Amino acid sequence: MKLIQLSKNKILYLLIILVIILIPQNNFSDDSLNVNNISKNLRCLICQGQSVYDSNSDFALSMKIFIQEKIEAGLTENEIYDLLIKKYGQWISYDPGYSKTTFLLWFIPLLFFLFGGAIIYFKIYNSKKNFKK
Amino acid sequence: MISQIGFISLFLGLSFSLLIFLFSLLDVNNNLVRIDKKILKLIFFQFCSVIFAFSFLIFAFLVSDFSNETVYNNSHSTKPLFYKITGVWGNHEGSLLLWLLVLTSFVLFFAIKSKNEPKNFRLHTILFHQIITIGFFIFVLKTSSPFNLIFPVPSEGLGLNPILQDPALGIHPPILYVGYVGTSIVFASALSAMINGYVNNEWAKNLKFWTFLSWIFLTGGILLGSIWAYYELGWGGFWFWDPVENISLMPWLSLTALLHCVVTLEKRNILKNWTIILSLITFMLSITGTFLVRSGILNSVHTFANDPTRGIYILIFLFVLIFISFIIFFLFENKNPEIKKEIFLLSKETSVLINNWFIIYFLTVILVGTIYPIFLDVISSEKISVGPPFYNKLILPFLLPFFLFMSIGPSMQWIKTNFKFKIKYIVYLFLTLAASLITVIFLNEKNILLYILFLALFYLAFKSLENFVIKKSNLAQSFSHLGFAMLMISILVNSFSSTEVIKNLNVGESFNLNNEKIFFKNVTTVKKNNYDSIQGLFEITNNKNETIKLKPEIRIYNQPVIATSEAAIKTTFLKDRFITINLIKDENIFNVRYQNKPFMIWIWISTLIIIFGGVFAIFDKTKKNYI
Repeated sequence: MKLIQLSKNKILYLLIILVIILIPQNNFSDDSLNVNNISKNLRCLICQGQSVYDSNSDFALSMKIFIQEKIEAGLTENEIYDLLIKKYGQWISYDPGYSKTTFLLWFIPLLFFLFGGAIIYFKIYNSKKNFKK
Repeated sequence: MISQIGFISLFLGLSFSLLIFLFSLLDVNNNLVRIDKKILKLIFFQFCSVIFAFSFLIFAFLVSDFSNETVYNNSHSTKPLFYKITGVWGNHEGSLLLWLLVLTSFVLFFAIKSKNEPKNFRLHTILFHQIITIGFFIFVLKTSSPFNLIFPVPSEGLGLNPILQDPALGIHPPILYVGYVGTSIVFASALSAMINGYVNNEWAKNLKFWTFLSWIFLTGGILLGSIWAYYELGWGGFWFWDPVENISLMPWLSLTALLHCVVTLEKRNILKNWTIILSLITFMLSITGTFLVRSGILNSVHTFANDPTRGIYILIFLFVLIFISFIIFFLFENKNPEIKKEIFLLSKETSVLINNWFIIYFLTVILVGTIYPIFLDVISSEKISVGPPFYNKLILPFLLPFFLFMSIGPSMQWIKTNFKFKIKYIVYLFLTLAASLITVIFLNEKNILLYILFLALFYLAFKSLENFVIKKSNLAQSFSHLGFAMLMISILVNSFSSTEVIKNLNVGESFNLNNEKIFFKNVTTVKKNNYDSIQGLFEITNNKNETIKLKPEIRIYNQPVIATSEAAIKTTFLKDRFITINLIKDENIFNVRYQNKPFMIWIWISTLIIIFGGVFAIFDKTKKNYI
């Protein structure tokens, strides 16, 4: 029994080492700035629920050209979003952003998550305590 | 003439509803063992009257009776027969009639299937279900009658939106509706079980059937919708976080949480209140979905009706249902006392709780993301969009722990798990490590988080595979979980290694992508009955000189005049080649979008496997429990 225990631990250590060795260390390959990635996050303002990327409307086509120009002018992704939000309002961006009006949007789901975790913790904890008595 | 009969038939249906309600109420308090035969007959008549009305509407569409407003708005005499029929539910009025049809057939099905259940439980379920049915009858008759007349009679109809003229979309609404409406039985049954103090493992057996039935159809409906979006909307995606997609995903999530709970209730007789709450929430979410879609509040590709009075009606109806649920929940909660049992940390019970914890979190993200912009608009008239970046930020980080829990959860045993070390675990670990490593290298995304995601998913897949290949135990669970792991792996691989080229191209030009040459050979035009087609011919040649031909199309429909682009897709087990063309205004060149989408077909196949798991669950007759 002792022997099995020992070998079990050894195997476990071996596996942990293996996992660490095999863990690839690079970061996500950096997506080069391109029109498609940016236009996916922008709403086509004259369409029904389509992004600029998805749409072939005149608005979307000119928007894609606009984004291409800005990329060539050396703007970063966030600068382009800011520019468009300033021009068309928050409605154009699929990312609602963090602001006074949107903090609840981000906060409520996270609150639910914490709340749910607490319920489960106490449910298991209390059931243990009850049965110890 | 047809329309009047249809209307009368619907009106009869409503009268039957009221009678059923009344008779059920009277029948509850007598001492007879069996349900009054009258009630069952009335349920049958009610079903017949809706079937009649529905057939009349189909008939009106078939003969293109343009004196009917719905037919006039949504059909055209040159439309192919199949789309004349599917056009019946391709609009607001018709789709609500379909909703009503499914609603009444479900209560009939329930009445037949629940013969061995306690009498009062059956009666109360029918009673609550009739409240919903009456609500919908009034809704259809008052605000959305499909039998309104037009005078003078127009000679031609306005036609059906061409993007809806598609076989997958023809059957998508009925399948989805069976899923949605199936939850009405879950709802009614939960309220009824509360009143009768019947929230126990016996009830769970009954509820399980309805939960799984709705879940299977809802999954199927969502699958069809995604397939349709993939090939019809023309940009090669299958999920867009579109509000209407979210709306179908919300009841799906709560059904998924519920079905894990129902099984726990069946096996262990615990989680009573939570099962009830989930049952109620699920139907609420279905109704909320209907409200949001039908009111036209949402800015979505699905919005084809925009009438505030309809929205307000459903909103009031929703509040009535919530009110009833609350009252019954608080009045009868103590009738179903929770039995105190110890829950061990390493047990299936804990796994189910954790599963529910994450699912409810995902549900909240989607719910808040969908309705928050509406509230904000009403309160401060500030317009914001909540799209993929929001969902990615709030959901993706949680997938990692979720998948880790999910990979070990199914291996837990009821009550308490005793882990015994076995050599095969090492084999699994090696398999998992190898598979994940290969995938990560193949994707060229050497990221530790992604690697762990794959570890969890592959472990789950191998473990589930073992369960049904070697042990042949718990087919439903292992099938669905295998399907889920495969689905997630396919989606991850697909999203990380899809490639695309968007180019403006003339006939005779070509471009390269991934060692393949794409050559734009020619363009032909074809005249069809209800549309003109511009068809491009593309030849894709790989470095072994094998050629594939793809023929994407632009269709210009005559009624209404709308141009759609039909993708040409070549599917293989490894990848889809996807091409669409679009006309560029005032210019003689085409906008060509060509995509390589790896593992696309596996997304559909794995979803089918998930559905099969659900089918197994319905036919699972194991009686073993651990109370």
